Amino acid sequence: MKAYLGVDVGSVSTKLVVMDENDEVLESLYLRTQGQPVKIVQDGLRTLGEKLGQYVEIAGTGVTGSARNLAAVLVGADAVKNEITAHAVAVSKLVPGAQTILEIGGQDSKIIIMRDGIVTDFAMNTVCAAGTGSFLDHQADRLKIPIEQFGELALRSKNPVRIAGRCAVFAESDMIHKQQLGHAAEDIIAGLCEALVRNYLNNVGKGKDILPPVVFQGGVAANTGIKAAFEKALNMELIVPQYFSVMGAVGCCLLAKEAVRGKQTKFKGWQAAEYKFQPTSFECKGCPNLCEVIQIYENGVLIARWGDRCGKWSNAVVKVG
Amino acid sequence: MKVSFPIMGNSYVAFKQLVEQIGHEPVVPPLPSSRTMTLGTTYSPEFACIPFKILMGTYLEAIEKGAELIISSGGHGPCRAGYYGEVHQRIINELGYKTKVIIFDSVNMAFKDFFKKLHYILRTGKTSWWQFIKVYRTVWDKLLALDEIELLAHQVRPYEVEKGKTSEVYRRCLAIMDQARTRTQIKEAKEACFRLLQNISQDKSRKPLKIGIVGEIYVQIEPFANLDIQATLGEMGVFTKRGIHLSEWWMETTHQSHNEEKAVAAARPYLNQMIGGHGILSVGETILYARRGFDGVIQLAPFSCIPEIVAKSILTQVSRDYGIPVLTIFLDEQTGREGLRTRLEAFVDLLQQRRQKRLGGAVS
Amino acid sequence: MGVKIGFPRTLFYFIYFPFWHAFFSGLGFEVVTSRPTNKLSLDLGVQEAVNDACLPIKLYHGHVAELKDKVDVLFLPRMVSVRKLDAETFCPKFLGLPDMIRNSIAGLPEIIDEKVDLARGFFPLWKLGLKIARRLGYKKDWHTWRAFVKAKAAQDKYIRNLAAGVPPQVAMETAVTGEPVRLPDVPVPDLNLAILGYPYLIYDSFVNIGLFEKLAQMGVRAWTVEMVPPHRLEVQGKNLSKHLFWHFSNRAVRAAFYYLNEKRVDGIIHVTAFGCGPDAMVDKLMELEAKNRGNVPYLTLSLDEHTGEAGVLTRVEAFTDMLRIRRREHESVVSHHG
Repeated sequence: MKAYLGVDVGSVSTKLVVMDENDEVLESLYLRTQGQPVKIVQDGLRTLGEKLGQYVEIAGTGVTGSARNLAAVLVGADAVKNEITAHAVAVSKLVPGAQTILEIGGQDSKIIIMRDGIVTDFAMNTVCAAGTGSFLDHQADRLKIPIEQFGELALRSKNPVRIAGRCAVFAESDMIHKQQLGHAAEDIIAGLCEALVRNYLNNVGKGKDILPPVVFQGGVAANTGIKAAFEKALNMELIVPQYFSVMGAVGCCLLAKEAVRGKQTKFKGWQAAEYKFQPTSFECKGCPNLCEVIQIYENGVLIARWGDRCGKWSNAVVKVG
Repeated sequence: MKVSFPIMGNSYVAFKQLVEQIGHEPVVPPLPSSRTMTLGTTYSPEFACIPFKILMGTYLEAIEKGAELIISSGGHGPCRAGYYGEVHQRIINELGYKTKVIIFDSVNMAFKDFFKKLHYILRTGKTSWWQFIKVYRTVWDKLLALDEIELLAHQVRPYEVEKGKTSEVYRRCLAIMDQARTRTQIKEAKEACFRLLQNISQDKSRKPLKIGIVGEIYVQIEPFANLDIQATLGEMGVFTKRGIHLSEWWMETTHQSHNEEKAVAAARPYLNQMIGGHGILSVGETILYARRGFDGVIQLAPFSCIPEIVAKSILTQVSRDYGIPVLTIFLDEQTGREGLRTRLEAFVDLLQQRRQKRLGGAVS
Repeated sequence: MGVKIGFPRTLFYFIYFPFWHAFFSGLGFEVVTSRPTNKLSLDLGVQEAVNDACLPIKLYHGHVAELKDKVDVLFLPRMVSVRKLDAETFCPKFLGLPDMIRNSIAGLPEIIDEKVDLARGFFPLWKLGLKIARRLGYKKDWHTWRAFVKAKAAQDKYIRNLAAGVPPQVAMETAVTGEPVRLPDVPVPDLNLAILGYPYLIYDSFVNIGLFEKLAQMGVRAWTVEMVPPHRLEVQGKNLSKHLFWHFSNRAVRAAFYYLNEKRVDGIIHVTAFGCGPDAMVDKLMELEAKNRGNVPYLTLSLDEHTGEAGVLTRVEAFTDMLRIRRREHESVVSHHG
């Protein structure tokens, strides 16, 4: 049967989803990127190929995420889209009528405002990653508490401590201080959840018209403590969709379906998992910018370049996407 | 009308009386707390400075208490503070409140506008100009008295035998001053407060370090914004003098005093341009403190404050030339005092060691 | 004479360089600019400037650091004001800039940091030119006047070109070399966006990571502050009960009013430097106006030394996607009304 492949390569995690013609998810994978996007995307392809290769024919592919250029080269993409559009498309399909999307991933957080299924406004976090997944992981590590237990511990707290959270550095030093004062771990964790939510609403969500139904997605949506803190702050219930951690990839499947209407897919096939992709880079000395130019070789042939500001290199080979 | 105003140090005690005696009902906002901070940061632009955010929170808390009118001071730039009122008003409207914010810019720059606004407030309070002049004099006395009491408290604190005693007495003094209404009462109350403060048991054998405080006016004056830095230092046994008190500021803006000119003249070799806010004064006052033999200077500034950033970049050179250590503290939305305390203690240690070196290490 | 005068290629360069270039060249000096902003000027700036400063101020430090050994004199005017409007000046950092530079960077050549304070009319500009020329040892006032008139003409032409929508680099090249304008080819735009912000962010393609080129490729017609007819810009001042204190901020806010009221655009992108003081006010004003004047989509694009291409692209792409999808939906609803 016909199916579509969506790949979302973020800095912290890589998500792959396969969807059939009726927009049903057949398989989804959530992998840690670990700074090796090429290897991880290929691993994902291999796993999916083994599971589905027999009875599924990929008719279209879509990629998104901060490494979307790279992913597009690896799988051969029909649609290359930004994360905002991908997330919004997924929600309008899986949670029809949703008016607000809160998305918190490993390094990025976003808010997307939708009305009648269309994006009307959005915002992304500034440079600072306070309140994103990696910051939470780091704090869990410091407190010696497995991140999986973070949520339930927070829910147990009766008196959350107030923690300043304008930025990670402040939040962290404030947390250490509160620990020194002898506050209970669950109160500190609950306080941290509240600080992150406050920070999110003051930074990303500032001035946005947050109306229900509100969808909460991204890796952090698994954290019940954060969800509860949001519900307390917004005074409304949050919907965490079934595929909350892979929504970007789900959106890519839908975008792929749209992109290939009546066209042949550029999908390289499951065997792309075994190709030898070699990313190399060099510093261009053409001007003082000293751009770091990335090149990708597929089985020894140069197939793409990017990273140069002037386009001197990237225009010299086939354009990505 | 129910009239409110910002909280800035101890001045609310005087403003309360002013509003009352020109025929309005004063709404004293709660002293800034972490709730004020939370409210303020929620509705302020992300990169507005801390005074903007605390004021925003204060106004919203005043509105909760029923304030229909908020009176505040403005300015003519180029520091952002002069434009706060405009933006505060828009945010208040955006949130659906009807409360009006009236901003008094400087008397000299916008004379007509100043009196138009004042006239409106007096008319609605059914107060004549004649009465107002009388009230103004009384309130001015009160404001001066409050500042003098605070100055004395900062002087006594480094010598106090029982830690925290001065702050406790000072709070009592504010309550006493709040009761005083006529000029005679204010004078008596002030003298009573002076006695109270002087009677705190003190160890006069101490030789406190002297630290001058410079920087942006709001964070200098409002203890909540500066995490009560003067009391913290005082309880470490350090004498602090800050660059500005509200009564002085009023004297300066109405050209009744000329201390600022001295500071501006001192800053001239380093910064030959008014850059708004207190930027040039931070440079000039640092030099004056150095000349007066102070041991160190602390520059207090809101995070992202433009004039103070300019001042900071120049103060490194001043510090080298005059051999006076300068510690810059950018204040932001933090409730943790520990970080600040650590830095203050380290700074005080550094100053102690410098002094011992100068005295040839003869002090045990 | 052969004296080399250095002019950092940032901040007010993007607006006033044509004037000073023509003026100094007319007096027979050689005008040397730093290279267009690049990684080197950025690194130097981060290294030299006080770390609490915003990106544009750091860059200015970087450009000065790059230039200082290549010239005999550095021209770092103290920009105070260029017109009379209440108490309008430039941002306090501009006012203190020469002092910041002097106290931060070692080994500087002679600096000309005359005040540019034109709040009292146009005549002071001539007096300033005369003062600078004499300070540089130029005695023939008549020649100075000639150079001044030429400089004025060059400046006017540059501003006219910007107003006509000529891309800034092209307009600047034309102003400096005197060659006629040649426009690059771009696809036919189907979206009109107002791209508002300060010239040193808008016209520096390193800092904004090639924003204008990207927009042109995406089929967007970008409308800037400088493209608002001057008298229309002036009129918009009435929308504020109190003028802002900063020259570029007033222009940006007024342009926002213009594009919201008089020349409708599909959306507004406000380009700002991370942590910019005046912009904390400006951004809020624009955002509220866009909301209250027909809910015009509004995006704040904040730039700093860590801004990556992906970050800018993602936001701008998502923004244009949103506008196009919106329009499609809208057209399918109203199309039968013609």
